[in-house]
Formats: sequence, C-alpha cells, structure tokens
Amino acid sequence: MAEFQIKKGKDLKIKGQAAKEVVELPFPSTIALQPQDFRGIKPRLAVKVGDSVKVGSKLFIDKTNEDIAFLSPASGTVEAITRGAKRALMEIVIKTDGNQDAEAFATFRAEEIARLAKSDVIKALLSGGLWPAVRQRPFSCIADTSAEPKSIFVRAVNTDPLAMDVDVVLEGLEKEFQAGLDALKTLTQGEVFLCTAPDAKSKVLTEAQNVITHRFSGPHPAGNVSTHIYNIDKIEKGDTVWYVEAQDVVRIGQLLLTGTHPVEKYVAVTGEGVEKRYYAKTIIGASIKDLTAGSDLMGQRCISGSVLSGKSVGADGYVCFYDSQVTIIPEGGDRRLLGWLVPGFDLYTLSNTYASAFVPRAEYSLDADTNGGERAIVCNHLYDKYVPLDIPVYFLLKAVIANDIESAEAMGILEVDEEDFALCTFACPSKTEVGAIIRQGLDVIQKEG
Amino acid sequence: MSLFAKISKEIEEKYFSKGKPLEKMFPLFDALDTFLLTPGKTTKQAPHVRDAVDIKRVMIFVVLALTPCILMGMYNVGYQMSVAEGLEYSVLACFGAGALKVLPIIIVTYAVGGLWEGLFAIVRNHEINEGFLVTGILFALTLPPTIPLWQVAVGISFGVVIGKEIFGGTGYNVLNPALTARAFVFFAYPAQMSGDAVWAAVDGFSKATPLAVAAIAERGTDAVEAIQNAGYTFQDVFLGFIPGSIGETSALACLLGLAFLLITRVASWRVMAGCVIGLVAMSLFFGLFKGENSLAFFSLPPQWHLIMGGFAFGAVFMATDPVSSSATDAGRWIYGILIGALVVLIRMVNPAYPEGVMLAILFMNVFAPTIDHFVVQAQIKRRSARG
Repeated sequence: MAEFQIKKGKDLKIKGQAAKEVVELPFPSTIALQPQDFRGIKPRLAVKVGDSVKVGSKLFIDKTNEDIAFLSPASGTVEAITRGAKRALMEIVIKTDGNQDAEAFATFRAEEIARLAKSDVIKALLSGGLWPAVRQRPFSCIADTSAEPKSIFVRAVNTDPLAMDVDVVLEGLEKEFQAGLDALKTLTQGEVFLCTAPDAKSKVLTEAQNVITHRFSGPHPAGNVSTHIYNIDKIEKGDTVWYVEAQDVVRIGQLLLTGTHPVEKYVAVTGEGVEKRYYAKTIIGASIKDLTAGSDLMGQRCISGSVLSGKSVGADGYVCFYDSQVTIIPEGGDRRLLGWLVPGFDLYTLSNTYASAFVPRAEYSLDADTNGGERAIVCNHLYDKYVPLDIPVYFLLKAVIANDIESAEAMGILEVDEEDFALCTFACPSKTEVGAIIRQGLDVIQKEG
Repeated sequence: MSLFAKISKEIEEKYFSKGKPLEKMFPLFDALDTFLLTPGKTTKQAPHVRDAVDIKRVMIFVVLALTPCILMGMYNVGYQMSVAEGLEYSVLACFGAGALKVLPIIIVTYAVGGLWEGLFAIVRNHEINEGFLVTGILFALTLPPTIPLWQVAVGISFGVVIGKEIFGGTGYNVLNPALTARAFVFFAYPAQMSGDAVWAAVDGFSKATPLAVAAIAERGTDAVEAIQNAGYTFQDVFLGFIPGSIGETSALACLLGLAFLLITRVASWRVMAGCVIGLVAMSLFFGLFKGENSLAFFSLPPQWHLIMGGFAFGAVFMATDPVSSSATDAGRWIYGILIGALVVLIRMVNPAYPEGVMLAILFMNVFAPTIDHFVVQAQIKRRSARG
C-alpha cells in the first residue's frame, strides 16, 4: 500500500454538500437507459415501445460487438424510445411494475470465482449485462473484450465537487465487493489496484483481498482515474488498462453470486438547487424527479454527475449509467452591471482578481453562467496548475487544435480523459473549452486507430 | 432581467441581430454591451460552472496596474517642462501641464488603435478583444512627450495591424504589439524618438537622459560619477524625476504596478525575476572588465541599471505579456534571464542605442517559441524515458 499526496489541483468551494445519510427512496415509477452514456458504441434496439421486459432483458446491443448487451434495470413495459439529432438513440424509458421479475444468469460460489478462467468471467459479465461497467484507457470507452489489460483500477474515491463518499454506501457489502474484485483479478495478468480516499474506514475497502490498495489524498483531481493510472501504472502507446467504479464492482459480485442482473445503486443528491440532500438508495436509471422528490426544478440546471464532469440532463432527465451523483444548481445567466469593475465578495474565483480571494468564504453559490465571453487563450500559464500529470496542457491543446496527432500522443493524450481538464476550463479567463478540445483529439485518434 | 439588460436586448434585436441593418456592426455593439453588462451566457457542456474571472477583467487589471505609471508620467512631463523653462511649477501645475501633453497621445492611441481593432473584428466577425486596452496604454507610455500625434497614429496602426492582426489577433501574435509599434516609430522617425531634445515638451531644450550620459561618458571614467555630475541623484532616477519616455521614468511607479500584478497574480513572477537576475548578473560580469580603457558604462553597478531607462517598465509590463513570452515555467526563467542579460549587452556594447529594453524584449519574443519547443521536447523525452 502506498499513499499518494496530490498537490496540483483544487477543491471547488461550492454550496450543496449532501448529508452522509442513506435514504431509501420509493421504487421509481419510470427509469431509463441512455445509450449516449456509453462512448463509442453503435446501439441497435432489441425492444420496441409496448414490449414488456424483465430485469435483465436486453434493451439494446452494440452493433460493433454484438456480445455487449445493455439490460433492463427494471421489470415493466417499454414506455418510450426517444431519439435526438440524426436519429441518435437518446433514451429507452421503462414504466416499472414494481415486481422486478428477473431473468436468470449463471451463478458461482464465492470461493470459485477467483479460480475462474478469464473467458468464463467475460462471458458471465457480457450475458449478465455488466460488461459495460468495465471501461478502458485510452479513450474511456467500454473495454475491448479481446484486449490484454496491463492492470485494472478500481475507483473507490471521488474528489469531484460534492461527490459521494463511497466509503459510506459500501458498508455491509464485503462479500459482494470481494467477489467482484476476485472476478476482475481473473481478467488481467497484472494487478488489480484499489484506489481509496486517505481516510477510507469501511472494512469493505480496508480488508479487501487479492488487490493492491493505494490511498490518494489532496485536492481534486486526486480521485480521477487518470491520476491513479499516472501514479501507479503509467500507460504508453499500445498499453491498455481497465477501470471500474467501486459500486459497479459490488454489482459484478452480486451478478456472479446471485445470477440476477443487479440494479441497486446509491446516488448522492447534491447542489444548492435542492433542499433535501442525501445519499439515495435507488436503482440504475432513476429519474431526476424521483431523486429530488418535491424540489422545484424550474430555473435549475439538473446535472447527472458533478458540476465539473457531469452532463446536463434536464429536469425530466435520468441519471447516467456511470454516475453516482446528481447536482442541481441555479441556471443563472443574469447580466450583471459592470462585471469587470465590481469587488465581488460573493464571486468565486481561483484567480486573485476578486475580493473573495482575500476575504474567503467557506462556500459559494455557483450557477451555470460562463461569467465572460470567449476569447483566444491569453493566460496560458494557468492550466498546468490544475493537472497533476506530466503533461504540458497548453501545448497539448495547441497540438490537438493543429491536428498534430503525433505530438499530442507524445505529450500524453492517451493517458487522459476530458474530465482531467475540467478545472483548466473552469479557471480559464478566456473561457476555452479545454476538455472538449482534448476529447476531439481523442476521438480523432480512436477513429484513425 | 434588469432594466439595462432589457434595453440592450431590444436594441440588439432591432438593429444588430441577424438580418437587421447593422448586423455587421455587431462586434461593436457587443463590445459596448458587454462592457456595461456581463454577457449572461450559460455553459453548454461540462464543466457547468466557471470562474468569475474573464479576459475583460484581466486586461483591465493590467491597465489598473499601470495607473501609477500614468499619473507619475503626467506629473513628470510637466515637471521636466518646468525644469526646461527654469520656472517653479506647483505640483498641480506640473500635473496639469503634463496631462495636457500626455492625454492627447493616449486619446489618439486608443482612437486609432480601437478603430483598427473594431475594423478587424467586423471584417472577421469576432469579438473585440480587450487586449487593445493594454496595448494602447503601453504604447502611449513608451513615447517621448514631444512626439507628433500623427506619428502616434501611424505607430499604433503598425503595431495593431502588423504586430497583431495579421497573425490572427490577440492571443496569436508573436511579438508584443505595443513594442512592435514603438520599434516602428523608433526606427521610422528617429529624430522624434531619440536624442536629447525630445524629452521635455519645450522647444529648443535638450537634456540627456541618465542612460545617454552613461553611454557618452569618456572611457575609463566612472559612469555613476558622470550621471551624478549631470545632476541626477539615485533618488531622482528611482522616483522618476528625470527626462525619458512618458511612463517609464519612475521605477517606484513600476514597483507599485508590480505589486498589484503580483497580488492579483495577473502576471508571471518568473519572467520578472528572470529579468532582474539576468540584468544583475550581466552587469556584474561587465563590471569585472572595467578599467582605464573600458567604456564608462562597464563601471555602472546593477542597482543603477535596474532603475534607469525602460528596464523596470519593460520587465514588469512588457516582458510579462503571456502571449508573446514563453508559455512554460522553465521557459519563462530562460526567457526572463536572457532579456535581462540582453538589456545590459545592448546598453553597453552597442553605442547606437543607449536603451536596450525594447529590442531585448522583441528579440526574446521571437525566441520564446523556440525556448518552449525545447522545454516541451525535454518533457516528452522525460515521459518516454520513464518506462
């Protein structure tokens, strides 16, 4: 075990932390699976509106690898299938019946899981609908089943603003978590690394076997997968590592032990836009409405995930597959008089150009206002302060913009994901979309192989 | 929505939005509109929240940092006039007389520079960049108070168009546009830009700057003595009661600006520290060679170099321009140190230009991308060697 102290980065002082108490919400009336959550797949529907489905019924598959199936988290009927621009499949909405009748999959005894062959585990995860929980670097897409991962990272720490303390929700799930870890260990010749917060107390994490545990302390992005990979087992061109969220490791264990597609999930309900903030016990694909029961969402931005890396899904939206947090913040967009002149005691900044930098408050109200117009990059010295990886961010950005893929790879683009640059985008006075530009570069590289 | 926001929206929809008569003028409307009110746009993708700071505020903070130099410059221009005329002006009279000379220069710079900026924004259909607020005032402050206004207009036109816009505008320029403009007028109109007669706004009066005094002092003599014999004390030079370009004479005013830039973290301290280290090291090095036959300049100790000429102004406000300086931390040190060293080199061994700051910074502007290239290549090598 090692402890990594991350120095570069920043924890945003944003209002709206959830209380660390688990609240069991009423079973959701509708849930949805969103194919757009899975980067790079080409979805093909396996159901149509009106079909009745069970827990574990195939909703859609990936055309590029038809073994990868995406299963229904609830029993009921398919209420709607919505499409977006260019007929992209957006949501498959299920009206639940509350019975949770389930398809049956293969079961294993806890002791035998560690001895299973890689191919058997892959088969079980594919048919049981949990393969999508295993993602890979580079590109942050669903892991390629034929690849040999150098190592596998389990993320049990999240330093995103207002993120869930996963320590709390793993309580009592030792058996399932260990089964999940054992299964992951069969998938790699290398190690499984369990990355936790420095103060992780849950026995589920501290007594995990068959893995190497590392602790990460310091400001965000100490909890990002890229930070873990960079510090523990760096990747070069040609390397692949896989990574899984801690809650999904539990679900992998549950699938193998019980033979049903596990759907239970804890989601932190956060942000100043909701009055009641808690850790909700719910199922995959729950709706924002159900999670924020009763809160008025008019004029609020509803985000699945955190303010830094999440996705705006709207008040009628659903939690994305990989997220364990929703954040509701005011939409903002009011025009302030003479913004360049005001002292700004209540305006949050990482720069020293507002009074708030000198008379700091414990937390600030942040809305979705860009707080300025887009300009060419001027303050090129800012970015490196927020990325704890050995990457010249400004030059990587320029390489991507110039479509200089070779340089971008040499500077380390394959190691990263757009979320690693969220703080750069946040801090940039020119309002440059740093992460989005990096993502364009990754997409080009992935497409061209 | 506030009343102002409503009015602005109405005007925009009536005249400046797509298909309306003044559609092409939108960048001008936008510049004025966002000057009065924040844009009020919301984020389209993650991250959903953004820092309160924007380029407008950053640029205006640089202008604020220049206030001591502007005020001191106005005062000193008036003070030099009183010295030239042999009259005792009151503080207010000095300031007033100086302001009458300086304000027209600033107004012409902003009017002509702003015109170009606006023209390019309209033709290219992009926002007017607040960078020209900084470029304009920087350029004005590097001029002698006697410069004809038409030369100011020609100079800033060259700086904005050739120094910046042909590269794509603020953020893409290689050279510092204010210095480009100054270099242009310096070489195009040497009679109005250099010599001993241009520093006091009184006809027929000439007085050498301390730098010029040091440059022409006889071989083997002591430069400090020469400067003091010419009537300049260390204190005068530090406070800025000496002839020189409008904004650059007072090292104290530059120090105040420096403090403001460092406290607000708007400018890079590495560049400034590098400049000082380079200058001190190089002047000490030349000091080793002082002797009977050496230039008098060799005997000038570093503390004089620091406060004379445009060094303080250049190191604090010109070299730190993030766009035309190095963009890596290591690169910033190298860039700064080389500027400091070059300043001394040009001052001492190039008799044609007693002042080396402008050329030193422009020269290093050209080299900054090369420095960055090597720093980034070193980082890439380190990455691939880590195994």
